[in-house]
Amino acid sequence: MDISIQFKKGALELCVLVLIQGRDRYGYELAQSVSKHIEVAEGALYPLLRRLVNEGYCTTYLQESTGGPPRKYYKLTPEGEAYTQKLVVEWKQFVHNVSTLIEKGSRL
Amino acid sequence: MNKSEFLANLRAHLSVLPPEEQNELLEDYEAHFAFGLESGRTEEDIVLELGDPAELAKEAIGNRYVPREHVYWFGGAEPAPVPDAPAPSAAAGVYGSEGDMRRRNSFASVMVYIGLFFLNIVIIPPLISLWSVVFSLAVSAAAGILSPLLLGLEYLWHGEIFTAKIFASVAAVGMGILLAVVTRYAYKGMLRLSVAYLRWNVRMAKGGHQA
Repeated sequence: MDISIQFKKGALELCVLVLIQGRDRYGYELAQSVSKHIEVAEGALYPLLRRLVNEGYCTTYLQESTGGPPRKYYKLTPEGEAYTQKLVVEWKQFVHNVSTLIEKGSRL
Repeated sequence: MNKSEFLANLRAHLSVLPPEEQNELLEDYEAHFAFGLESGRTEEDIVLELGDPAELAKEAIGNRYVPREHVYWFGGAEPAPVPDAPAPSAAAGVYGSEGDMRRRNSFASVMVYIGLFFLNIVIIPPLISLWSVVFSLAVSAAAGILSPLLLGLEYLWHGEIFTAKIFASVAAVGMGILLAVVTRYAYKGMLRLSVAYLRWNVRMAKGGHQA
């Protein structure tokens, strides 16, 4: 298996949370937005979204759309909001640390 | 792979989940197809973008809580091959048999108590009489050893003493010492016997549960 798939899987949750934080989104829209930036199996979104709902970070509501099926929108809860902010901070810290290590490691 | 193949494949891999949850997840994917087709993509393209159904199912099952002993598993339309399903029933079986054993044991322990009661009625009187033998041995030993004292008292009382009595007293002291030794062994033996019998009683009464 491609190692970068593991990176992407780990980052997918963060990306989705950040996208929902911007505004409420529905599944297909999220898939499009995510795959615009990172190449990932779009299908993995749905189990992830269900988990976020189960863990109380998101709620859903249905909205009728013209033509197609009703859109299931995902909305962050206050817990989800706090969780997202925490996750962003941790991610930045983590990326910074790993980058520093890589740079130092190549010099040593 | 087209849409229906993808969905059928995915459902097959999701079979460990309760049907209700399978349906909810499959609805999400069906909606995804609908939106994709609406924006002009082919089913095959969408399937490619979604990824491998087996991997997705793994994600769906691994990421989420799979309720154990779920009623759906037994009442579901399809006989889902649930690896965990035998576990609850097996566990229930174990608990059930344990309960039986506990009940049997309480019955057995009542019988043990009754048995011990009758056994003790028979055993304790001889035990007491053996203890009285030990006690009488101890008293005779003490009497033998203390016999010179009696001799002394007699001398104080009468002011004279038979020489034969002195020899008798010396013999009595010797006998008393011997009896004291015997008493010591008898006492130790009886103590050990009594303690062992008592412990056996307690073990029988209590240990009926563990055995």
